[in-house]
Amino acid sequence: MERILTRNVDKENAQHLAVYESVGGYQALRKALSSMTPDALTDEVKKSGLRGRGGAGFSAGLKWSFMPKEVDPKRPHYFLINADESEPGTFKDRLLMEKDPHLVLEGSLLGAFAIRASVIYIYIRGEFVHAARVLDRAIAEAYAKGYAGKNILGSAWSCDVYVHRGAGAYICGEETALMSSLEGDRGYPRLKPPFPAQSGVWGCPTTINNVETVANVPFIVERGADWFLSVGKAPKNTGPKLYCLSGHVKRPGVYEAPMGLPLHELIYELGGGMLHDDRPLKAVIPGGSSVPVLRADECEVDLDFDSLAAKGTMLGSAGLMVMDSSTCMVAAMARIAHFYHHESCGQCTPCREGCGWLERVLQRIEGGRGMPQDLDLLLSVSNNIIGNTICALGDAAAMPAISFVTKFRDEFQHHVDAKACLTGTVALQGVR
Amino acid sequence: MPKLTIDGQAIEVPAGTTILQACLQRGREIPHYCYHEGLSIAGNCRICLIEVEKQPKLVIGCYTPVAEGMVVHTDSDKVKQARAAVMEFLLINHPLDCPICDQAGECRLQEYAVEYGDGTSRYTEPKLALSKAIDIGPHVTLDQERCIQCSRCIRFCDEITKTGELGFFQRGERSQIGIFPGKRLDNPYSGNVVDLCPVGALTLNEFRFKTRVWYLANTATICAGCARGCNVVVGVGKQQTLMTTRGQLDDRVKRIVPRVNEEVNGWWICDEGRLSYEHEQKAPRLEAARVAGKETAYDDAVKAAATKLAAAAKAGALGVIVSPRLVSEDVFAWKSVVSALGGGAFGVRSLLRGEDDTLLIRADKGANAQGAAWILGAGATERAVREAVAQGRVKTLLILGDPTAPSSRPPPGAAPRSSTAGRSPLPPPRAPPSRSRARRGPKPTGRTSTSRDGRSASVAATCRREKRAPAGASRRTSPRLLVLRRPAGRPPRRYSRPSAGRSRSSKGSRSRRWGCSASRRPSRRECRAWTGWESRSRS
Repeated sequence: MERILTRNVDKENAQHLAVYESVGGYQALRKALSSMTPDALTDEVKKSGLRGRGGAGFSAGLKWSFMPKEVDPKRPHYFLINADESEPGTFKDRLLMEKDPHLVLEGSLLGAFAIRASVIYIYIRGEFVHAARVLDRAIAEAYAKGYAGKNILGSAWSCDVYVHRGAGAYICGEETALMSSLEGDRGYPRLKPPFPAQSGVWGCPTTINNVETVANVPFIVERGADWFLSVGKAPKNTGPKLYCLSGHVKRPGVYEAPMGLPLHELIYELGGGMLHDDRPLKAVIPGGSSVPVLRADECEVDLDFDSLAAKGTMLGSAGLMVMDSSTCMVAAMARIAHFYHHESCGQCTPCREGCGWLERVLQRIEGGRGMPQDLDLLLSVSNNIIGNTICALGDAAAMPAISFVTKFRDEFQHHVDAKACLTGTVALQGVR
Repeated sequence: MPKLTIDGQAIEVPAGTTILQACLQRGREIPHYCYHEGLSIAGNCRICLIEVEKQPKLVIGCYTPVAEGMVVHTDSDKVKQARAAVMEFLLINHPLDCPICDQAGECRLQEYAVEYGDGTSRYTEPKLALSKAIDIGPHVTLDQERCIQCSRCIRFCDEITKTGELGFFQRGERSQIGIFPGKRLDNPYSGNVVDLCPVGALTLNEFRFKTRVWYLANTATICAGCARGCNVVVGVGKQQTLMTTRGQLDDRVKRIVPRVNEEVNGWWICDEGRLSYEHEQKAPRLEAARVAGKETAYDDAVKAAATKLAAAAKAGALGVIVSPRLVSEDVFAWKSVVSALGGGAFGVRSLLRGEDDTLLIRADKGANAQGAAWILGAGATERAVREAVAQGRVKTLLILGDPTAPSSRPPPGAAPRSSTAGRSPLPPPRAPPSRSRARRGPKPTGRTSTSRDGRSASVAATCRREKRAPAGASRRTSPRLLVLRRPAGRPPRRYSRPSAGRSRSSKGSRSRRWGCSASRRPSRRECRAWTGWESRSRS
């Protein structure tokens, strides 16, 4: 298929403005500013069916339409770009920012225009040092050419763009925690409502979108919503999508395909098949580590929001982690639990205490010190976390735990009963 | 006003009220840790999760506003399960040091663990070990292990005192409350974080390990520290007949905590008021009446004073300086007495120190300066009397009340002043009071002296208000007045009724044995309402 989002990534000096302009860069911005009103732009994006690529899959156009139609001079509108890509197994936004920063920038400016924002903050993960530099350079180029700053392209609209680097917390990818962090506070998620469109960063109307989401917008403006609807599975899963493939495959990496790519096609065609020919597929985590896992027999599925939801999991950030038969599911889950234990912000009780508890029980089972009641304990603790927390991090820790234990219960049971791993069948360390 | 149904009961509450507030106002208990009426809503403890029909998930009652037609269940199985879950989570890393924790007995964690917890723990791993007994300020000690991270103390320092000493450090289950580097929790209201703390993480140095809270007899009263008149609850460590522990139950004030009055002090008091009992207890006090520095029988001293006062009043040379800390009834009684004797020049002392702050503290340390001025007239100032003394118009001076409260009294915790200005005008006690004596309650103390220069004779009757007794009691019987009116031969009335429990054997009821009669002992609910734990019902 035609590469859309990644059309420039292989080009030399793709991050420079000249290269971006040579393929029609900033024409969408020019078109929008000269011939579209913010509401028309919002409607076009709404019509295109573009859904947020950060994980929740909420309609981007609908989100923009929640913003006030008039700007109160005392409460300017803010447009935030969530570039805090921290979900394990996800690395698509980084590619866009490092290789095609002007695409991200143009999309951000279009979004800001649509919601009548006068400031854009790109909140970038602290570890993305290179991407932040590339973006900064791109922003300087855009200012020099009048694509950002005062009276953009001669219009009445002005918008400033800033890159804000995070300090290395997974929770700051949560939209309200990101706002707290941006304001200089601890990255604590906020209670909702109010939603960001009513009161976001500094109490002003705010919209926040993922990097990949805004990268789609220039193409919607340029080619029209109907074209966007023709890519992928209309009406609800449209447009191109970046899939991050990792784990036991021959060619891991970011792959662009229309939304709704069959999982098998991604693994066996684009990804070159399983890493070892003698080790068949065992499980796939389809959307970053926080979504429920799929067993090999559940992998006849298209990679889009609704197909995966029908299978009881989520597309999430499309970070696919492929595991072959050599993978110990207990060890994998213990590693995931370790991550969420480490990254829980500690604000609310169930997540703060529960994530650590989950990890300890899993480590115990993994180390051969599991007790017969531990599997039910894991499920019970997970169920006590889910839905009872301020933000989704608690759910993100508990959902995989429930799916791992229920779908691979025999492996967990074997760890507990035989003090050995089904995959390795060796006695475990630390047996009592 | 939205109409909603809570547990089958249809109610109507003003818009903007949260479900938790609506429940508390109607006496329906919803457990809560982080929610506090006087602070912003944090919504982090998650114990107030309740079920609202048509909502996919449980919602927190403290943050969810009522809405028209809402149907709320606060006692469904789902809610009970969630509460038990949160209790279990809170307890897995909470140390089991209730036996040595000052909060035990008024600890929300204990109470909710009994009411909503499972009773057993499924947590078999070692608990987290964090720092204990961290000195974070002159009055407050922090125990990070006990902390449940409700953030009340942080919000208090951020929102009420706006000093921002406290913050969260670290992340996840290692997150802990602490003090920012180079800072001390030494704002003038620091003690309030101890009251706010629902567990024993923050304890008051002055109360720490002094007594168990269930031995305290709590009395609602008013702080006399300044003109604010904060509503407080005074806790007295009542003497126990059967107790073997000595020292902690000596009928002395153990602590003062705020009592909610949104129109006066809200939920807070200042540290100076909180620790005012220390000054009162440490101050030297007269053990007997004295005339010219010599211990004298009480009746003789009263007679001597009465003679001098009558003579001075008759001669028109009597001046009276009234403490602004006297209650209005006392001021009025003295005015009546002096005018009956023939009249005298009245003046109210002015106790000004520092400045008014934006929260509670007032520069005017005379708690009842306004009341005294209303009774005696605006012209009745200490200065006017002093001038009269200087001009020789007043030859006899009567000083009433609180000579130990000079306007230059250092705040508690401050270094003692070296100047003589702050020194108490009372002579030091000659011998510590015997236990039996102290138990009898306060005595009206008086001093009659004649100045050596012979220019003016002065009579100083010092009637120190007993801080141990409730303010209500002090209004009921004013000992100095009774003494003056008492017919000869009758013994002076006691300040407070002798408690029956003290002299009786262990046969008395449980509460009597604990030294407080059942009628005077406020209920737990009452105490909790005083301290703001429970909202008072509003119509």
